[in-house]
Amino acid sequence: MSLQQIKLQAMSQSKRLYVTTMMQVVGRALQSISEQDEEIRKITSVFPVGFVFSMQVLPEGPGFALRKNADNSLAFLSELPEEKPDLTIYIKHLEHAFRILSFQESTAKAFANDRMLVDGDISYAIRMTRALNRLEAFILPKLVAQLAVKEYPDIPLPEKVIHGARIYLRVATNLISQQVKFA
Amino acid sequence: MSKGFYEFFCPVKVIAGEAALEHIPFELSALGASKPLLITDKGVRGAGLTDHVTGACEESGVTMVAVYDDVPPDSSTDVVREIAELYRSSGADSIIAVGGGSVIDTSKGVNVLVSEGGTDIAKYAGAGVLKRPLKPFFVVPTTAGTGSEVTAVAIVADKTKGVKLPFGSPFLLPNAAVIDPRMTLTLPPHITAATAMDALTHATEAFTCLAKNPLSDAYATGAIRKISDNLLKVMDNPKDVEGRLELAQASTMAGIAFSNSMVGLVHSLGHATGAICHLPHGMCMSLFLPYVLEYNLSKGESREALAELLLPLAGAEVYAATPEGQRAEKAIATIRDLREELYDRCKLPRTLEETGKVGRDQLPRIADMALDDGSIMFNPAEADFDEVLSVLNQAWN
Ligand SMILES: [Fe+2]
Repeated sequence: MSLQQIKLQAMSQSKRLYVTTMMQVVGRALQSISEQDEEIRKITSVFPVGFVFSMQVLPEGPGFALRKNADNSLAFLSELPEEKPDLTIYIKHLEHAFRILSFQESTAKAFANDRMLVDGDISYAIRMTRALNRLEAFILPKLVAQLAVKEYPDIPLPEKVIHGARIYLRVATNLISQQVKFA
Repeated sequence: MSKGFYEFFCPVKVIAGEAALEHIPFELSALGASKPLLITDKGVRGAGLTDHVTGACEESGVTMVAVYDDVPPDSSTDVVREIAELYRSSGADSIIAVGGGSVIDTSKGVNVLVSEGGTDIAKYAGAGVLKRPLKPFFVVPTTAGTGSEVTAVAIVADKTKGVKLPFGSPFLLPNAAVIDPRMTLTLPPHITAATAMDALTHATEAFTCLAKNPLSDAYATGAIRKISDNLLKVMDNPKDVEGRLELAQASTMAGIAFSNSMVGLVHSLGHATGAICHLPHGMCMSLFLPYVLEYNLSKGESREALAELLLPLAGAEVYAATPEGQRAEKAIATIRDLREELYDRCKLPRTLEETGKVGRDQLPRIADMALDDGSIMFNPAEADFDEVLSVLNQAWN
């Protein structure tokens, strides 16, 4: 194997690792934010109870899935469900997922650039995109979030800080407990 | 700004111009077909337009094995199933759709059923479900607006379930779009105006929305130039064959543009208003277009793109005489002027109030529905409920 090949392989492996981790973070953060944020629950209110949303990289993941609860919050599913989710946003390639999840390409832009496809009701996909945008605004510093979403929502600073901190905390504790379980 | 990445796809053969219909027999035989089923609606047949098609075919020894002329304006899975049965019982081997958006979408659905088999079209709903080419399929548009002859999508309502089934696949595209000026020559003025404004909106949104790209831009500006050069001429002289052909081609070009770069908030609002207040699509487009462009501009979006559009909209002299910083506003003003001219000629409404069919109390519902419409994703400026509602209020009077 040439040095170039080794370099490429290492890069691709670290991209895969990054995307896998970020998929988990985003999935878990969506659960956290949906438990605390009224706006997100308004977004999910039109989905039927038990509605399963997933986001997956083609051809075989990584990805995450969430199921809607009766109170409109979202439950993170620890594994991708066996049966077909009600709505899946597919990302065509790991490289595209990396760009999206490293916030170099916004979700709207990624749709416009044909990086992603929707399997399911397009109006639900739009709602999930809004939820993702809101999530990004919560968990990312403003400068980065502006790259990731078309418009940074007008969230007063204290609310954002509190929310952001809480969500970070939940995400961190979720991940840690998960690691403990696996250890 | 150069576009980092894009895709562009349009495999439809375009057969356009005088005596274009006379090419259908040859095109059929090139695909090994000789027994077409003609699908149309009562209005088109009543206006004698299908006679041009059957006449052109018969002179070359091709006879329609059957004609279905009862496609309603809002087609359904039942209609698709009924026509598929006719296709099978008549021994047809190809489809010729002659009509506007509803006839074309219905025919796409029929082609799915007769090619894939069965009676349940819902099985094939969604994106990318179809995996192989369908039966030979030709589209002869009779309105110059929807661009459905070059879009890889179809919407068919399932009336028993009360849902609209979306279909998306490159295999839905016809083998050829046949554009013959005879087919739009007798369009009444208000339909000519509304459908041309639909095409103008397709081109304008394609050029200003997020998925714009160099190839769709070329089609979009070409379409806009043809519409601004010919629409009023045709309104004043409906028998202007050349002008009619230009509008028909503009519609197809705008269709190619928007099917590759999508549409935006004008269409989100139009779809919602059409569904709630039962207004024709083209009328909604004409109505909302300037208000949405103003909204996008107010959010700091589209300035550069709109400024560029002043050239095809108003011509070189106006473009050159307008200072760079005012070209975007001038482009919107040009569209407003065009709407005034159309209002003078055929009373095409400029505001929601003028339609006489919208209640001001319905605006929040329209806003809600527009927010869930697929095309809002590609609008250059983000819009929340209050912002959409304020655009609707602007468009009220
Ligand atoms: Fe349209």
